[in-house]
Amino acid sequence: MSTTRRKIMSNALGMAFAALTSTVLAVPAFAQSATQSLSSESVIETIKKDGVIRIGLSIFTPWSMRDINGELIGFELDVGRALAEDMGVDVEFVPTAWDGIIPQLVSGNFDVIISGMSVTPARNLTINFTNPYAYSGLTILSNSAMTDGFALEDYNSSDVTFGARRGGTPATVIGQLFPEATLLLFDEDGAATQEVLNGNAHATMGAEPTPSLEARRYPDTLSVPFDQTFLATGEGFGLRKGDADALNFFNNWIAVRHANGWLKERNDYWFKGTDWEDQVTQ
Amino acid sequence: MGFRIEGALNYDWRWELIPDYIVRYREDREEWFANLLLQGLFATIRISIYASVLALVLGTLLGVARCSDNLTIRLLARTYLELLRNIPPVVIIFIFFFFLSQQLIDALNLNAWSRGIARSDAAPFWEFFFGDMRRFPSLISGVIVLAMFEAAFVGEIVRAGIQSVPKGQREAARAIGMSGLQEMRYIIMPQAMRKVIPPMANQFISLIKDSSIISLISVQELTYKTVELVASTRLIFEAWITTAAFYFILCFGLSMLFRWFENR
Repeated sequence: MSTTRRKIMSNALGMAFAALTSTVLAVPAFAQSATQSLSSESVIETIKKDGVIRIGLSIFTPWSMRDINGELIGFELDVGRALAEDMGVDVEFVPTAWDGIIPQLVSGNFDVIISGMSVTPARNLTINFTNPYAYSGLTILSNSAMTDGFALEDYNSSDVTFGARRGGTPATVIGQLFPEATLLLFDEDGAATQEVLNGNAHATMGAEPTPSLEARRYPDTLSVPFDQTFLATGEGFGLRKGDADALNFFNNWIAVRHANGWLKERNDYWFKGTDWEDQVTQ
Repeated sequence: MGFRIEGALNYDWRWELIPDYIVRYREDREEWFANLLLQGLFATIRISIYASVLALVLGTLLGVARCSDNLTIRLLARTYLELLRNIPPVVIIFIFFFFLSQQLIDALNLNAWSRGIARSDAAPFWEFFFGDMRRFPSLISGVIVLAMFEAAFVGEIVRAGIQSVPKGQREAARAIGMSGLQEMRYIIMPQAMRKVIPPMANQFISLIKDSSIISLISVQELTYKTVELVASTRLIFEAWITTAAFYFILCFGLSMLFRWFENR
């Protein structure tokens, strides 16, 4: 093959390759507009059509946990299964890392978030919330030795260190209630509590019943010093914006379940009692 | 060391609970089944194998493109390689996940397809290769994202291999009338690949360790399962030490395999 001919062929090949790569990169743009037009249809319709509701949740005792057989159990699971039963569809739980749960809802990985997510204005800017289906307040869990004789105001000082899970409501509340104190952030609750146990942090905050459970497990080191609960704003389902039908459906479902006492009964079982503990660890 | 940790860390060890989370006997179904940690280990093994194969194919193509005579191909390959090698893996994985995998899954309608399989009778066959089919789209996302990231490194290794083959070989190949493709296939690539087995082995071991990052995009592999276990039971140290042991066995086993392969 002559040099000129080889050069022309090689250039043509190169141009074809470049054209191919740019088209391939454009395909996601087409797919994105398809996703957008799909989400203008209510999620209730897609749930009915597919015959399954996909619920995103994150592991968080006792909302949702893995039991000794590796199955999901918890308050959210009961709520999700009851919801699916009432809708007449299957239920599929999508365990998701907490940090990415809202982005994954927005990008369509699942239909609704039922994961003990507190209603906050910051989150509400990105997603819609239903009316609360649970109200869990936060309490302070502190290292007894290090916080001996502390009143509530004493926690708000620069010598005091708090630990909390990053992205969780306790972290925000600690920042608001105790702005002077130092706040250490971790990827999971267990690590934050461990810091308090080790004496590296004075206290952490958490949604009941976890602080009381921890205080019972380590009675010599940990205690819940105040009965006062903070920020009982309530937890709601999270849904994508622009879906009035779904918001109406879930709100009414929650209202019905509140009215017949089912939600309170389930809430008391998981949050106030400890009957379920032997299913998780024996 | 156990006693020192207990004194300084104020932790009550509950090692006896860990074996149940690896393998467990279920009374109601009367069978042994793999529990959380072992499920995670199998998922990590699957992801590592599929991502390695995909990264090898993509990386070899990239490496060859990087050495091509055509300027466009060479520039495109170089851009991809340099971008991916100079951005932290966590950032790349998030970007690829939200901008690439999500669109791909929607375009191919993978959710409905995998749910159909999960409900069908062929499920156990698929589950051997891919785990729970309902989580198939997230597995595919993880594999693609990991493979595209690792392909950049494999590409650089392949490029180094190709360029290390003496120029005399290429000239000799042209002299006896071989075309570019034949030269690559019969002369350059066999020599190049044999030379780069050590760094390639290193890269695959690195891939197994990097696979723990995709737990951040909620792929159900070993690290994610361990986070779930810790959140459910507060067995912080026992769970993470066990997971570290699993990763060590996996990576060390692979490096032993490659050492045998090298000496063959």
